[in-house]
Amino acid sequence: MKRILNWFRLRRLESDLDRELQYHIDRRVTDLIHSGLPEPEARRRAALELGGTTKVREEVRDIWLTRWLRDFVHDLRFSARSILRSPSFSATAVLSLALGIGATTALYSLIDQIVLRALPVEHPERLVLIDWIGFQNAETFGTHNLMSYPICLDLQQQKQFFDGVFCRAATTINFSTGGEPRLTAAELVSGTYFSVLGVSPALGRLLTIDDDQVPGSSPVVVLSYDFWKNQFGGTQDIVGRKVLVNQHPMTIVGVAAPAFHGIDVGETPSVWIPAVMSAQSIPGFKTMLDRRTRWMQILGRLKQNVSLERAKTGLQPWFKSMLDEDTRRTNISRASPEQRRRFLASTLALTPAPQGHSVLRHDFSQPLWVLFVATAVLLALACLNVAGLFLARGSARHREISTRLALGASRGRIGRQLLTDSLLLAITGGLLGVAIAPIAVRALIAFLPHNTAATDLQANIDMRLLLFAFLVSLLTGFLAGGAPALQAGRKSLDSALRERGGTPSGGLALRRAIVTAQIAFTLILVIAAGLFVRTLSGLLLKGPGFDTSSLISFGIKPDLNGYSGAEESRLIRRITEGLRDSSNIQASSIALVQLLLGGAWSNSLTIQAQERYVTDREIEINAVTPGFFATLGARIVAGRDFNEHDALNVEAPHQSLPVSESGQRAVIVNEAFVKRYFGGRNPLGARVAMGASPGAKPDSEIVGVVENISYTNVREQSEQAYFPIGTELSGSNFYLRFRGTPESAFRSIRAILRNADPTLPISYFRTLDEQIDRSLNTERMLAALSSSFGTLALLLSLVGLYGVMSFVVTQRTREIGIRLALGATRVSTIWLVLRDALTMIAAGTAIALPCVWALGRLVQSQLYNVKPTDPITILAATLVLCSTALGAALIPARRAAAVSPTDALRFE
Amino acid sequence: MPSSRFPIPQGTLDMLILQILSLEPAHGYGIAQRLEQISKSVVQVNQGSLYPALHRLEQRGLLKADWKESETGREAKFYSLTRSGQKQLRSEKESWVRLAGAVQLIFDEGAAQ
Repeated sequence: MKRILNWFRLRRLESDLDRELQYHIDRRVTDLIHSGLPEPEARRRAALELGGTTKVREEVRDIWLTRWLRDFVHDLRFSARSILRSPSFSATAVLSLALGIGATTALYSLIDQIVLRALPVEHPERLVLIDWIGFQNAETFGTHNLMSYPICLDLQQQKQFFDGVFCRAATTINFSTGGEPRLTAAELVSGTYFSVLGVSPALGRLLTIDDDQVPGSSPVVVLSYDFWKNQFGGTQDIVGRKVLVNQHPMTIVGVAAPAFHGIDVGETPSVWIPAVMSAQSIPGFKTMLDRRTRWMQILGRLKQNVSLERAKTGLQPWFKSMLDEDTRRTNISRASPEQRRRFLASTLALTPAPQGHSVLRHDFSQPLWVLFVATAVLLALACLNVAGLFLARGSARHREISTRLALGASRGRIGRQLLTDSLLLAITGGLLGVAIAPIAVRALIAFLPHNTAATDLQANIDMRLLLFAFLVSLLTGFLAGGAPALQAGRKSLDSALRERGGTPSGGLALRRAIVTAQIAFTLILVIAAGLFVRTLSGLLLKGPGFDTSSLISFGIKPDLNGYSGAEESRLIRRITEGLRDSSNIQASSIALVQLLLGGAWSNSLTIQAQERYVTDREIEINAVTPGFFATLGARIVAGRDFNEHDALNVEAPHQSLPVSESGQRAVIVNEAFVKRYFGGRNPLGARVAMGASPGAKPDSEIVGVVENISYTNVREQSEQAYFPIGTELSGSNFYLRFRGTPESAFRSIRAILRNADPTLPISYFRTLDEQIDRSLNTERMLAALSSSFGTLALLLSLVGLYGVMSFVVTQRTREIGIRLALGATRVSTIWLVLRDALTMIAAGTAIALPCVWALGRLVQSQLYNVKPTDPITILAATLVLCSTALGAALIPARRAAAVSPTDALRFE
Repeated sequence: MPSSRFPIPQGTLDMLILQILSLEPAHGYGIAQRLEQISKSVVQVNQGSLYPALHRLEQRGLLKADWKESETGREAKFYSLTRSGQKQLRSEKESWVRLAGAVQLIFDEGAAQ
């Protein structure tokens, strides 16, 4: 350490040493003169005794810096000079490395933030996610790893395995401090949440077990630090302030620690609310204590000395007995035998969760890893390119190196010099890469679907990222410089010196190998690009099954503003009438669940046709108003649409199905449903019931069949059932077909809403085209990035191939001249050169194809309608690569053919 | 002329420097003179290795150095022992005594037979 410090004060140390030695000599000379020697002789003696000041100085310097460090400083200076001397070479190398390092760093940044980073809590490594594997026979609110609140309470009793267990659910609330309410991200949490995580308050107190006892009894909230800073200006007297959550008065009791942003990357909550206040936070939600309602993720903290495996096996007896007990509880006793069997076969899974739980991670970790591999390949390509450039330059510097060897430089020393060159280039490239990384991260974040992702993820460069970029640069430098450095040390000295200038052959085999590897990497990337582009274009071509142009959707959540059921339906009627009267709006209708958002309301159905049976899969269910399909432009292929009479009912649809005036319920199913459950026979008149229990009464008549349209996303083709929407709505998603521009339509809608209730926020507003774009975000990201990676890779390897071929042609000029003089044709000369290139291309392809086959599994799930080994894509990619590569090789080949024999023979 | 004296054993120079400086701080030339006096009688010290040794000891934190006015009025670099230098000297002295004692014991045994 001290030695590295010394490096920075080298000048100071040098002058001190000079003074010190000067003092010694002067004193010695004086003393010697005193003892009678003449001055010149005294000076000579003094210097001699010391053994020469230069030697002493050298030795002392070695002590300060150690030898290798001093050499390194010299090498660095030398490298810097030589890099500056050939700016175009250096710029190419630095730029390609910067692109590679920048892209890798950017992806690493996202992977770090979304996938790898542990929560900023105490001992995150002991956190586990507890999940139910199997059939829960429960109503579902939310996505991924859901269980009921009572199970969390049960698990909290398992004290021999856990230090504590908590549960949480993300939701959106209408938050108001007296002014206009705003939609705000909140997390409903058990009272154990903060204590189990080990988060401390920044102000006031956090939620405790006492806040989570009796439903409805703890109107308290905790704010996130950022929310407190941004919404309340970080005011100190925040504790005790009253706020309104969905019109329910609650009290702020504290602010969480600054670093803590919840446990879900991509869904950062601003407010934490006790789970017992769920009825107030989620309007219409009354089933918190129901074991058959799954809506929360449960996480636990393992005890210090309990392993994951031990806890898992240890918990199974409790879990089995709970299952048994559940089957005796009335609400499951009516399940079908098949469901009972599946229910009892369930198991409990524990997975390490130091990073918490995140839907974003769930959906995106795989595409991100795919892209990370692609950037790593790209970086390797850039490395190879720089290695190729170095070898080329090594040939040019051949004489210099041979001379240095002849003057006594060790081969290791020369190799080290070359390595320093490449390290310096790589570090410069790395610095540039770090500079462009934030831009790349921002571009990547734009591809991520969640609105919140943009606010939760950062494009900042932190220490971890710097370290990563530095390590990558270092590795890059070693990879790019390693081969040339070894090469420099190999050749015999006198053969090198005896060679005439201009025709060194050093490293050609190595350069060929490098180009072959480049072609292999490039082919892999181009094939990947082809697969992803075909996936995206296939999905775009397929579309959602209806015409999305001039379709708009927007949503309101009147219940969060305190509307009762009847008030809400009056409000919706007013809005609907306003929309009907607007000249901009051609048609409008309402759906209970938003389309193309990745989620669905799903349940099994019991079908009563000639016989009674239960669907083997969960059916995607929605509730819509009459005219919904007409608004979308989806055809009713059989039967009829809903009419006004179907739609009259009272209760919220997720609790029971609507009944029409005549007591008759109606349902419309899609073609996929008919195909699967009626084998294509006419389903009209058959009856269905929601749920699979033997007690379910199939009393909804299938009145129509609609063509297949996309519900959760464009990719999936699911069986769907549509029920008429009840008159009491909880949240509404309007779908409109408009005339003119979306902007003018938006202005009309805004005016109509303001007219109906000026304090009602719009929860979202977008055209269906936008919605499709969003739902295809992953596919678009993969297609866009893999195409640009493929193009870059192609460019890099073409440059590499061109370089090698030009070199070969220059080297063989004499030979070609002789061949031409002996009567070889121009065509055969071109062939001579191209054959060389073809060998490399063929070898590269032969390496790449098995790799594609092996890597296929990684991307399989990201593809649509195309296999990873799709022959057309592979063939097309190979053709593209071969033709461009041959094109690049043709330029030097033609130059070879244009060689004049006389010039060539004189060329020396 | 120097043939009658010992060449200095490896590593002993450091110990001698520490010993000289334990009496009082001194500059390089002063140490050289002290060494010269010792050299005349017993061992032979190459003055060329003095400065590398001083800088090595300073680097290891056994010595510290300050620029101070010397007896001639000119600024000179004075070395003195640090706390860990004193400790080092003590332990080297101890092990030296032990080694010498052990060697003596072996010689004595040889003589007794």
